[in-house]
Amino acid sequence: MNTILALAGVVIMELYRRKDFYVLFVLTVLITLVMASLSFFHDTGIVRYVKEIALLLIWVSALVIAVGTTARQIHAERENRTIFPLLAKPVTRGQVIVGKFLGCWLACGLALVVFYLFFGVISGSREHYWPVLSLFQAFWLQWVMLGIVVAFVLLGSVVFAAPSSNATISFIVVFGLLLLGGHLNQVALQQPEPLRSVIYTIYFVIPHLEWYDVRDLVIYDWNRVPWVDCALATVYAGVYSALLLFGAWLVFRRKALNL
Amino acid sequence: METIVETRNLRVEYRARDASSGKKLALKDLNLKVGAGEVFGFLGPNGAGKTTTMNVLLGFVNATSGAAFLFGVDVREPIARQRIGYLPELTYYYKFLTAEELLRFYARIFGIPRAQADQRIDQLLKLVELEPARRRPIKTYSKGMQQRVGLAQALINNPDLLILDEPTSGLDPLGRMKVREIIQRLKNEGKTVFFSSHELGEVETVCDRVAIINQGELKVEGRVAELIEKHQANLERIFLNIIGYQT
Amino acid sequence: MSKLLSALILALLLAGCFSLATVLQQRAPHWSRRAQSDNVLKMVFGDGRRFLADGFFRKADVSFHSGFYPTIFDQANASQDTRHLTAKEGEPEAEEHEKQMNFLGPPRDWIERFGRHFAVTTHTHLEGKNEREILPWLKVAAELDPQKIETYTVSAYWLRDLGKYKEAEAFLREGMRNNPESYEILFELGRLYSENLHEPARARNVWELALRRWSDQQAAGKKPDLRDLDLIAVFLARLEENDGHPARALELLHIAQKASPNPQALQPQIDDLKRQLAGQAPSPAPSSH
Repeated sequence: MNTILALAGVVIMELYRRKDFYVLFVLTVLITLVMASLSFFHDTGIVRYVKEIALLLIWVSALVIAVGTTARQIHAERENRTIFPLLAKPVTRGQVIVGKFLGCWLACGLALVVFYLFFGVISGSREHYWPVLSLFQAFWLQWVMLGIVVAFVLLGSVVFAAPSSNATISFIVVFGLLLLGGHLNQVALQQPEPLRSVIYTIYFVIPHLEWYDVRDLVIYDWNRVPWVDCALATVYAGVYSALLLFGAWLVFRRKALNL
Repeated sequence: METIVETRNLRVEYRARDASSGKKLALKDLNLKVGAGEVFGFLGPNGAGKTTTMNVLLGFVNATSGAAFLFGVDVREPIARQRIGYLPELTYYYKFLTAEELLRFYARIFGIPRAQADQRIDQLLKLVELEPARRRPIKTYSKGMQQRVGLAQALINNPDLLILDEPTSGLDPLGRMKVREIIQRLKNEGKTVFFSSHELGEVETVCDRVAIINQGELKVEGRVAELIEKHQANLERIFLNIIGYQT
Repeated sequence: MSKLLSALILALLLAGCFSLATVLQQRAPHWSRRAQSDNVLKMVFGDGRRFLADGFFRKADVSFHSGFYPTIFDQANASQDTRHLTAKEGEPEAEEHEKQMNFLGPPRDWIERFGRHFAVTTHTHLEGKNEREILPWLKVAAELDPQKIETYTVSAYWLRDLGKYKEAEAFLREGMRNNPESYEILFELGRLYSENLHEPARARNVWELALRRWSDQQAAGKKPDLRDLDLIAVFLARLEENDGHPARALELLHIAQKASPNPQALQPQIDDLKRQLAGQAPSPAPSSH
């Protein structure tokens, strides 16, 4: 465990020493503040559009951080040859995979905390109330979803040659899952067999990332998701992340270390 | 004498980059033994199989057949590397870390308690003369400084076996002298050093025993003094004769 | 020296381009019949802005429904009409909308069943002054596509409801500048004058103009919506009746009856006006709008 935590620590240090997070955070803040400063029909009480824009920016930024940070981890270790002094220590390749996953996921979590604190300040300053539990739930679900994304990108990083191709494919897949994943059953039912069965199988196999997008519940002040469902979704994400990490380990253990 | 490094009929085959060439034999039934407290030189021309041997010992590459052991433990077990230190030929470390952070990271992997790690880091940074630069990111270091960081990380766990791949490569004469001093000090402490080098003069000075490998096969092995006496030539001449170079 | 020369050549080219642009800018309006734009958004997005404007208008609708909205996969089952945005409860448009927003249906599998716990699944409309939340999206939609008339009429409807009469008038007048032929905007403006600002004379002028615009469009073969003619005529008729002009009111109700999908509903009012004109006392007439 010490080894895994040590590896995770290095990933987190890398995140806050690179510019990515700061650039994304400053952009999010700037755009949100500019939007919030606008007055529509001399009404300063309109708040939901600000929440919507801020949450959209948070989601996009978090995905960029998750995919961008994770896509370069294994490749950078191999390209920079830092993998050699690392594996010359009593470290297994499995520990490298898990350590990188934990580091990237925790890094995403830290970034999300900052983003959501900012969001809380902005929305609270206009609505004059702080739905702390709702925000926490939205944060938790998004963070847990990013675990699946990080695990997926980590698998891609041991399969694909270049981090850029891994990142591109990962973005396409993640956005595809978010936008279309939940509707594949409708698409399937409109198709003739055997295409219907194929699409329905894909529908059951893919991770349903759209569950974790509860922005509408936050923006429009709906009731929270029942905590039991939240817990089940967390377990679901944990299982998928574990499966993807297992796949990454299976590929990585046979991989040559130099590029 | 305890055997620290041992290979038994070690065979490593690679698939050649050119598919029509079939498989490439990197190591052919290598049998090697290094005893405790020895400084062992591992020599050979480029492509002889030195790095492949080291890669197998360090667990980077799996042998096609045969076995390799460190401290009697199969090299495929991570615990085999608990008591070793490794300095690669090309020293690249996490550029965004400082020397201190890098050493602390590796110390944590070895499970060294914090207080002990702090002490060890101070000692090592003083030894490799990186004390003034300990809090600067490694990306600001010169090549020589990076090499010294490499040496420090190889020694962080006070290893009983040090594996060095071309340790003086790229160093100025002063740097090379310091590396030789460190190797000598380790020997005096009873540590085992296994290193590959092209600097035959250095090998002759520092090593107790050497092995010369060519085209994946062990050609000669023995004490330096004995080899020189037997072949009536210096190490360079012996090396050239073995690899088939006629002057 | 060569760096200086390159910089000079670049400066010369930039100056040349700038001069050419100032010359062409005067001639450019004649090359295209499209409405000229001084708006950066329109310059940047081109015709794609209409697509974006539709998106933002839909966003306003989503906001009106607090996130409950059909996806493109549900669109076939759901309403494409946006009249519900200004329809009151009990009105036919509202009832039709209620039926069509029942697009979800029972979940098809456990994944969909579980997923509904994380989504908005209740059909509601914003109320109690929260309707202002849709205004930013409508404003952006109007900026992107000033020719989308619905944006102005829906916005004005809600601005009136929120008591922002000055803002409603300003926005409608902006809509009129961008769409001088629009009778819909004129009708909405008339409602503002009549119901909120209590200026019947201005309302009459504007509604009469709206009627003329409607007729002009029909004469030009553009097939304007008969429901709009019905509405304009009925509102104007009510105004004329209240102002003591029953003859004109009757004339307008006849126009409305020809356009109305339910002409029988107007008959009692028509009969009432006829009796007035004939000098008899009015009987209570059922309200049809």
